[in-house]
Amino acid sequence: MTLTELLSSHLLSSFITVVGTIALFQSLAVLQGKLKVIWLQPMLICILVIIAFLLWQDISFERYFSNAWLLNALLEPAVVALGFPLYQHLETITKQWKSILFVLALGALLAITSSFIITLLLLGDYSIAVALSLKSVTTPIAIAIAEQLEGNTAITAFAIILAGIFGAIVGPPWLNFIKVTSPKAQGLAIGAASHAIGTATVSNISYQHAAYSSLALIVSAVITAITSPFIINFLASLL
Amino acid sequence: MIISHKTALNVLYSMFAIFSCLALGKFCSYLAPILPSSLYGLIIFTLSLHFRFFNADKIKGTVVWCIKHMGVCFVPPGVGIINHFELLQQFGITIVVITFATTFILLTAVGLHYQRYAVDEA
Repeated sequence: MTLTELLSSHLLSSFITVVGTIALFQSLAVLQGKLKVIWLQPMLICILVIIAFLLWQDISFERYFSNAWLLNALLEPAVVALGFPLYQHLETITKQWKSILFVLALGALLAITSSFIITLLLLGDYSIAVALSLKSVTTPIAIAIAEQLEGNTAITAFAIILAGIFGAIVGPPWLNFIKVTSPKAQGLAIGAASHAIGTATVSNISYQHAAYSSLALIVSAVITAITSPFIINFLASLL
Repeated sequence: MIISHKTALNVLYSMFAIFSCLALGKFCSYLAPILPSSLYGLIIFTLSLHFRFFNADKIKGTVVWCIKHMGVCFVPPGVGIINHFELLQQFGITIVVITFATTFILLTAVGLHYQRYAVDEA
């Protein structure tokens, strides 16, 4: 195969992969809009359908991921765009910075300690306990800390996706059920528990959700990056 | 679908704003690798709008569209679960249960605490 043929075949497969993924996601979004069923979350169903397709066609994840490079390249600018709703609510947020910082610090502490202790008690494996205790922050930060603390990075990556999808799907209905109906509280909770995946999902509910979820995403990431090595080393010395 | 000249210019302006903030974010991440470049970019984008370096009115339309459709960008990393099937076989369903349970605890604690003690502050 010549270089030109190779390039054109890669471009064609990239085009099909990206267009196919977008078409599937949009169709599911339209379907969810019509049916209003919670479990029909476009991101989750889209992931499951693509996994089934890859397994059926015996296509490796690496091949799919390299063909979907455009969507992956847009991930960073998409996260930057979340600065807009944050800007729109900056004045209110500045007035409440003490309570927001307190609740997010409490959340980060709870996320690290609860996961670490429960995992260590149930599985007795330090590297998995470290991996799961970092699941609520964004991937680059969690992986870096997991490496630093000798955690299992593969499990970290897996748990991050799982926590993101779970919070994105269950978060809003559960919070409504327990009467946490304030968009600010919902945004903070989902941003703190389900990082960028949760933020991307709740951003469609309202701008206030988007602003507070983005804020929680940043603040939780900073707090976890700074405090988790100390908390995990302390807990490991106790247990 | 016909896009007006003004809309096209606003899209270009928004892309310039977002990508220049991301570039600055990458520089910040290089200097102080505490946060990933996209989160630095998010902070810089917020501040640049607040201090009127960019015109928020021109950006709004494009950003609203981006945020509405950004979920699709998380699909390829999500499909990455396929590479971790052996972890599920090895450690059983315990990892999944712990992840769900602790995410649930966190959602509840942050949501309830903020709504109860801070929501009426402003």
